[in-house]
Amino acid sequence: MAPSAIDQSAAAAPPDTKTYPPAKIFPVKETRFEKYIEPETGGRSKALQQPDSAAIVIDNGSHAVRAGWSFEKKPRFSMPPIMSKYRDRKLGKTFSFAGSDCYADTTARGHIRNAFEAGTGIVSNWDAMEHVLDYVFLKLGMNDADGSIDAPVIMTEAVANLPYSRKSMTEILFECYGAPSLAYGIDSLFSYRHNKGTTGLVISSSYTSTHVIPVYNSKALLRQTTRLNWGGYHSAEYLLKLIRLKYPAFTGKLNSSQAEHMVKEYCYLSRDYDQELKGYLDWTGLEDRDIVIQYPYTEEVIVQKSEEELARIAERKKESGRRLQEQAAKMRLEKLMKKEQDLEYYKQLQGKLVDETKKETRRLLDSHDIKHEAELEKIIKELEKAIKKARTKDVGGDPEENEEQPDFSLLEIPDDQLDEAQIKQKRQQRLLKSNHEARARAKAEKEAEKARVAEEERLDNERRENDLEGWLDEKRQIHADTLAKMKERDRLKQDLGNRKSLASQIRMKSIANLASDQPGKKRRRGGDDDNFGANDDDWGVYRQIAVGENSDDEQEEEDLMSNLKTVEQELLKYDPNFDYEQTHEAQSDWSKSLLHAFARGPRPFDPASQAELSQIHLNVERIRVPEVVFRPSIAGVDQAGLIDIAGDILNQRLTGLANHEDFLRDIFLTGGNTLFQNFDERVREGLRSLLPADSPIKVRRADDALLDAWKGAAGWAGTSAWKAAKISREEYQEKGPDYIKEHDMGNSYA
Amino acid sequence: MAAPTEAQIAHQQLIEQLDIHSIHKNFRNPNWRPNQRRNKNLKAIVGDASRREASALATPQDISGDATPADDGLSTSGTTTPANSSSGSNPPNLAQASRSLSKLVLEKSLKPSNGAAVSAPTATYTNIESAPSLSHSKHYCDITGLPAPYMDPKTRLRYHNGEVFGLIRSIPQTTAEQFLEARGAHTILK
Repeated sequence: MAPSAIDQSAAAAPPDTKTYPPAKIFPVKETRFEKYIEPETGGRSKALQQPDSAAIVIDNGSHAVRAGWSFEKKPRFSMPPIMSKYRDRKLGKTFSFAGSDCYADTTARGHIRNAFEAGTGIVSNWDAMEHVLDYVFLKLGMNDADGSIDAPVIMTEAVANLPYSRKSMTEILFECYGAPSLAYGIDSLFSYRHNKGTTGLVISSSYTSTHVIPVYNSKALLRQTTRLNWGGYHSAEYLLKLIRLKYPAFTGKLNSSQAEHMVKEYCYLSRDYDQELKGYLDWTGLEDRDIVIQYPYTEEVIVQKSEEELARIAERKKESGRRLQEQAAKMRLEKLMKKEQDLEYYKQLQGKLVDETKKETRRLLDSHDIKHEAELEKIIKELEKAIKKARTKDVGGDPEENEEQPDFSLLEIPDDQLDEAQIKQKRQQRLLKSNHEARARAKAEKEAEKARVAEEERLDNERRENDLEGWLDEKRQIHADTLAKMKERDRLKQDLGNRKSLASQIRMKSIANLASDQPGKKRRRGGDDDNFGANDDDWGVYRQIAVGENSDDEQEEEDLMSNLKTVEQELLKYDPNFDYEQTHEAQSDWSKSLLHAFARGPRPFDPASQAELSQIHLNVERIRVPEVVFRPSIAGVDQAGLIDIAGDILNQRLTGLANHEDFLRDIFLTGGNTLFQNFDERVREGLRSLLPADSPIKVRRADDALLDAWKGAAGWAGTSAWKAAKISREEYQEKGPDYIKEHDMGNSYA
Repeated sequence: MAAPTEAQIAHQQLIEQLDIHSIHKNFRNPNWRPNQRRNKNLKAIVGDASRREASALATPQDISGDATPADDGLSTSGTTTPANSSSGSNPPNLAQASRSLSKLVLEKSLKPSNGAAVSAPTATYTNIESAPSLSHSKHYCDITGLPAPYMDPKTRLRYHNGEVFGLIRSIPQTTAEQFLEARGAHTILK
């Protein structure tokens, strides 16, 4: 069940709307263009003065390429390995950019290409790679050189880089850039070297992969190395996928760069994943665990009206209403006056007719389009009635109430005693009478119903007073029944979506029956007419095939709801054990919903607010995403987790070595993906459970997990090891692009 | 057309400044003409490499002792180097030798460089990949990520509680597949 709310006391009424402290809301971040990097020429002249030790060092990472001079403390710049090239048709000019300059322009952003194959540390787009290298050499001021790079190059590459990739890179550096010499090394080993490690286990979790490399006397045991295909890139993609699934209707634009920043800033490794996960969405402390990310949005403009304005508007409305009323009254009055005048006129006419000859009467009547005297009388009567009605209306009386019993005198007299006009009148009277009686009957029925309800209520009350327990039981039963009914209805509704459900099958069957031409057994027996429709229930079949059996219209839903409401009200009033917490409303409140906590955090959600619609809540994801390195199965990666890998290497593969405990004494973490809080903790705890009880486990982090690889490579330049490991231009020309020298920092020949 | 605004002009200037296409790069070899088809993806590279490896592995077996006539006089088995075996009394048949030369080269290049017994093969990109996990994997809710004791047989999604189940039953199958895909358990139609 959902974790219970913390501070909703057992109140009989819905708790007052709580106020919440303002949420911690963070703006969304993504990689952007920062500033123009000036090419710098000082480095080259300095390098030319010390040709034996100076080199260009390029840490060719899949997340960031860091480049600089070996004699400097840190790289000159760091750039993503991307390029963008497009042709501006309006200007008739081709533009190309590299690194974060690509983000400066929208068109350029649309043409970004990555030098690396997505999710791996292998270069696959060599045009992009050349662009990136162009940029690197430009910014290092190599444009003063003529025809070639005149400084040695040290470059990092992936562990067990593919021969084809290395060959292509070597070709480019020697053929295209004419480097005097080139040396490759593995980034994490350079980092380990920089942190003064000699024997130990290097755990390097970076952007595209996680490697575990045992190093023995400064030499990497590459054959024991293991790679897990998971890194920062995969984490970001995974988080992006999760967010998209969490907010399918999200309107903001989500991209992996934003996800990368979220992973970096808000995710952390849990010390005890399963334990922490269990209570992650509990209300207690969710405030702190839930991170809200605000995407840009445009607020709908709601013009706030001042008190004064509102008053004025109300006044205006009232005014116009009054005017309308006045007009209506005036019109009514005019009509009334006209009717009175008419009445006067017709009365005069009637008076005139009294002593006129028949012919004159005829003439007078004809001139008023009246056929005979009776009609005139009728007109006068109607007018009188209308005037009376209008007058009562103006004074506000009810015309029905004080209406006396109409005259039904003619009904008693047989037809043969009446003349034609009287018969007509009789017919009219009969109609009037039935009308009158019907009204009376309806009134009586209403009264009876009212009485019945009152009686029921009285009985109910009596029963409650005499047998409260029984009464409550009954009500509780009704309550439960209604809830069950609602549940059942929901279930059926869902079932209808499933083709295999009973409801659907029955529906299909009746459709098939209706559509078939073959007369059924029943029909044959009963002749041609099947009496369909004689029974009102027959028509239900159409409803059934339209939406399925038992599906119900809105009406029934409303009924159930209102029934439930009344029962709950009564229970609230009389049952001491029934409090607001148990009502349906409270049960379906957002504060009971786990999914609400998951998607909307510990606050109510207002679907009308644009700001809240463009918010992302990170909670479980914060520990779920980094955890994948330790448990790849979470994200469907069919590989062993980091601890399993390290344990396997330490327990199985290195046992042959004499002093294999030395590896445990120096477990070294490097790479951007190890920067998560608690990473070292987790490695230590995880290994402890796999190793013998008294094993001396020491885990340490690199000083700078991001830049130490570059620094290590820079420090390596100029050493005798470097001199022995580098391949000169002459060697390249003699031995070809496949040729490499094996050394402590680099890959072996495969 | 309206005159460009100041911001547009500034942006254009920035673009011009950042552009590296128009800069002449002195350090580049002007005659550098790379192979047009050098861009290969990882799958293609690994595929090429493993094919080469496979053919190389298959070749020496072809010329191992029991499959070939005894008087081949060239390589016999993978363990001895061809140089040793060909130094026998029989003078090598030239036609056969030329035919087998490429195989010899391959065999030689496949031999471990230092000759000593090696416990594991050299590290390659594919063989350093970590093996599938043997440990039991815990189940987590596909929607919320919380521990999931249940699985819905219809959508195959794992879920945490009844409320999540209600949601699962209300989403269309395509969405359910997307949830499964995040865990790598989706159905792939081939």
